[in-house]
Amino acid sequence: MSLLQEEREIILSNEFVDTFDFAEVTEFVKNASKDLFISHRFKNSDKMLVQPRGGFPTYKKQFALNEFFVEANVDVLPLTIDSNTRLNDYATASKMLRLSEENDVDMLNGYPLVNHGYRTTRKMITHFNKPVSLRHGTPDARLLIETAIASGIFEIEGGPITYLLPYSKNFPLDKAFLYWKYVERVCANYSELNEPINRESFGPLTATLVPPAITIVIQLLEMLLSLEEGVKSFSVSFSQTGSMNQDIVMGAVIKKMARYYAEQINCGDADIHLVYHQWMGAFPMNKDYAEQLINMSTVIASMVGADKIITKTREEAAGIPTKEANAKTVANTQYTLRILNGLPTIVDEEEEEILTLEVKAIMEAVFNDPADTLWRKVFNSIKNGIIDVPFSPHIINHNEMITIRDAKKNIRIIKRGNVPIPDRCYEYEKAQCDLTKDTTSIVNDIVHDIGIMQ
Amino acid sequence: MKVVTGVVGNDIHVVANRLIDLSLRARGFEVFNLGVNTYLEEFFDAVVETGADVLLISSLNGEAEGWSREVKPLKAKYKNLDNLIMMIGGNLVVGSGDAEQIVPKYKNYGFDLVCHQIDLNTGLDWLEELIEKRNLK
Repeated sequence: MSLLQEEREIILSNEFVDTFDFAEVTEFVKNASKDLFISHRFKNSDKMLVQPRGGFPTYKKQFALNEFFVEANVDVLPLTIDSNTRLNDYATASKMLRLSEENDVDMLNGYPLVNHGYRTTRKMITHFNKPVSLRHGTPDARLLIETAIASGIFEIEGGPITYLLPYSKNFPLDKAFLYWKYVERVCANYSELNEPINRESFGPLTATLVPPAITIVIQLLEMLLSLEEGVKSFSVSFSQTGSMNQDIVMGAVIKKMARYYAEQINCGDADIHLVYHQWMGAFPMNKDYAEQLINMSTVIASMVGADKIITKTREEAAGIPTKEANAKTVANTQYTLRILNGLPTIVDEEEEEILTLEVKAIMEAVFNDPADTLWRKVFNSIKNGIIDVPFSPHIINHNEMITIRDAKKNIRIIKRGNVPIPDRCYEYEKAQCDLTKDTTSIVNDIVHDIGIMQ
Repeated sequence: MKVVTGVVGNDIHVVANRLIDLSLRARGFEVFNLGVNTYLEEFFDAVVETGADVLLISSLNGEAEGWSREVKPLKAKYKNLDNLIMMIGGNLVVGSGDAEQIVPKYKNYGFDLVCHQIDLNTGLDWLEELIEKRNLK
């Protein structure tokens, strides 16, 4: 028996799993409907796929939410997991699920997939027969991903960096890399049975003034970590920056760079997709304004040429949205996409060149780390600040980089810390901003820049 | 002048914490930032370890009150903290509250400066004034 299989048997002998039947799950994936695979959908459709967010604790409510989504002509269904499951606390999730079922009040902020189990969940997934995307935020997602794939969920979001640096203060990053290596291998192995399982990275990170170069580098590195384990379908992603031009530049550069680096490690045969997140920062309280913002995000996603868009709702500022508001956003986004025709092509060569130079310089610094494997090189690079994510709460993050918006609302690096931004690019970035101000005014500007959409 | 700062309790709101760090440095303080999700013991341990003059605790999710009740008994267990300036700021209650009631309550918990929903720079101006008053500078 392989080491991986031994580890799988240990993970799946968890007391919260009702006997995992490896042979039956393998047969299920082998014969599963092609319609459940987003990788298949990407291959056979040019349309930008629309995917909302959403997860409720009980089977009944989740089923009802999915009915609303299907009614609104959804392309990809979400399954968002509750926060206890994300922290591997299945006992609390189980208790809260029972309370939610008995009292009709939601005691969890998502669907506790491990507690529901794959036999139950698979009934829902196969009933709707649409691709489902797993949304979570779990550093150790081994059991969750096994359960998801056995349920018929063939798109897995996340990664060791993007699910850790924005969410955790002190979960060990090296452990996260190893736990995600397991996930990549399991996804790769299942991909050989039918259409590929799609992996998607979480580009928004902290959604707070993250400069494009950092987002792209992390997207590329998670993609490489996934492809080197044998994954054949991968989505890189980012969220609306606040400047349409910067979004378009970012889309162009990330597409080129993803292809380039995949070929560098001889994984050019993998399919690579681009996902765009509607505005992930602080939303306006005014629900009509929120709808305008969402609509604008959809237009930008089209300009960027995204393969999938992930939606927000008019209730974003108020908390977890109702299923009605959530379905409305899907219908509105589909409508906007349908009437958006004849979009002009915009290319900003200077900005593209600057961003490309920055990305290549950081990637080179990561590859030059003396460690023997890619994950260790990436780990060291985060530890020594070659990769620095603004506003990450994690103790390993350097927090030396400072970014602000220029007059056109582009996110600019005004202090690079240990990130190897080439001098020419650094001068260019700083030249776009008014740096004559003292730090106190700059802090006030940052506060303003974070809340620009409110 | 040394400041220990961080966000108290199971609170992971990091944005203001970074801005406090940045602003303190701009004003010439030496900052020891413990980040989000910090427990009271860790704050006092850090004050002792660094020999800090100021402890600036922040909170956004409102759970500061529960923790603040523990401040006096815990601080009493440490030696030589009598001259430590204790400051707390952010959103100091769950839901909405009246500053006129909140400020005396927190002063009673052992804080010298209480900034409930006060602009960051105003709060830091207060801190500098207090330091001047105590002739620490």
